[in-house]
Amino acid sequence: MKVYLDNNATTRMAPEVLDAMMPFFNDQYGNPSSFHTFGSNLMEYIEKARQQVADLIGADPSEIFFTSGGTESDNTALFFGGETDPEKPGLITSVVEHPAVLKTARYLEQAGHPLGLVKVNSSGSIDLDSLEDLVSGKTGLVSIMKANNETGVIMQIKEAAEITHRAGALFHTDAVQAVGKIPVDVKAEEIDLLSLSAHKFHGPKGIGALYARKGIKLKPFMHGGHQEKGMRSGTYNIAGIVGLGKAAEMARNFISEEALITSALLEKLESGILKGCPGAVIVGTEAVRLPNTATVLFINVESEAILTLIDFAGISVSSGSACSTGSKDPSYVLTSMGISVADANTAIRFSLSMYTSNEEIDYVLQELPPIIEKLRKISPYA
Amino acid sequence: MDHFMNPRNAGELDNPDGHSEVGSPQCGDAMTLDIKVDDDDRIADIKFMTFGCAGAIAAASALTEIAKGMTLEEAGGIKNSQIVEFLGGMPAEKYHCSVMGHDALSEAISNFITKRDATAAAFKEILDEVPTELRNILGDRTISIVHVHPGRVRISNVGTDRQKVAEILEKELQNRIGETVEVRIA
Repeated sequence: MKVYLDNNATTRMAPEVLDAMMPFFNDQYGNPSSFHTFGSNLMEYIEKARQQVADLIGADPSEIFFTSGGTESDNTALFFGGETDPEKPGLITSVVEHPAVLKTARYLEQAGHPLGLVKVNSSGSIDLDSLEDLVSGKTGLVSIMKANNETGVIMQIKEAAEITHRAGALFHTDAVQAVGKIPVDVKAEEIDLLSLSAHKFHGPKGIGALYARKGIKLKPFMHGGHQEKGMRSGTYNIAGIVGLGKAAEMARNFISEEALITSALLEKLESGILKGCPGAVIVGTEAVRLPNTATVLFINVESEAILTLIDFAGISVSSGSACSTGSKDPSYVLTSMGISVADANTAIRFSLSMYTSNEEIDYVLQELPPIIEKLRKISPYA
Repeated sequence: MDHFMNPRNAGELDNPDGHSEVGSPQCGDAMTLDIKVDDDDRIADIKFMTFGCAGAIAAASALTEIAKGMTLEEAGGIKNSQIVEFLGGMPAEKYHCSVMGHDALSEAISNFITKRDATAAAFKEILDEVPTELRNILGDRTISIVHVHPGRVRISNVGTDRQKVAEILEKELQNRIGETVEVRIA
């Protein structure tokens, strides 16, 4: 049996999404920016997709800019936020951000933008007091992720945005792991800029969007043609955009109906692991988490060894650390929550999707405990 | 791959002759290794435990298979390339995973040698100043040492009251190094 439980890395593209995209790989190959009707007629599909994406996050279509994905959206937002006002060069983000934000922030820090890093508490949520201490009149942008990719912990975005706005700065959220899984409302949560990516919710890879609140005069990150009001040049990836739109439409249905099924399966997986694998610890249980994500510490059992054995059983999951470059880098997300390096190196992440079935969870719960037991037997720590 | 799925020589030995605990606090990887050494200085038995990735487990399994039956000197000279060859290849980025096994083996060997040296030194002390009780039995004989092992000493030329000589020496050794050392008389 093959079981895919690495949906925070990427998801299976929905067949409906592929169907929606196919015409644009075949006879509808025109360039939407062309003058002729063969190309320009395609613009309506792009605008429909823009509406579908806007509807998913409570935005106006004019506030949606298509990009190549989460990393580009994050880079655009951070570069813009850092340069929007010379009087406000400061950037603030959190220690648990995805590298697309964290490394960009580090780059901008080297380029002269003072960087502040918000801490997280032991549950994995951002420490709002720490944000309050860091913001000042010199802060240009605060970027806090909506949900963490490793722990699934959902951050207090509205509160963080309020603190940010009181200091007169812009608020960006990397919502790549949240959009399509939980309700996101840019208006209610006072979000100025938001990154999303299609392939995290059953859309195609290589397409995403940046939401920029009306009134924000974004600066282009990609220079060239005039696409996306000159904000994001490059010939329209029409098939990708249509796929993103379709995935967004389907995600609204998932959030309102199917997310409950996924969270029930996650609960079953978690309680089954705790029962079948003595000593297992679920990370971030004190926080509100995504309905699809669980990171488990199998104390005293090394994660990459688990990963390899579980892969042989046909189960795809992931670990926070990788032992490939000569020294193991434990997950900074887990260590910043106060988890020891040794324990962080026992972490396995399970991430479900709307395609995860009850039988698949049963299979994992049957295969996993003997694997953990086998490795525990040869562990000098256990 | 089989060495990862079914690691050979995993576990611990009772009363090992050499024991080591190595690891990198940096990455949390750790390994213990136990050896039993026979009187020809060959590794008679070897067991390991590890907290490490698949590569580390497979490499440790291969290393212990290679080392078993080797003399300490031979085992100390096992090359990484032998492990890779034994496993039938290994991704280059995983080579470093086998280093921990090497460290563990050489530390277990040095632990064995340290213990053996301690036994030898204690025994020499006794012979340098033979206790009266023993001197009375030996008369003018000089004990000759055949072989020293951390847990046992083989000697000869003690005369007829072998059992009494062994008893006295075992008690003296116990007092000096705090461990039970068996005295065998050839």
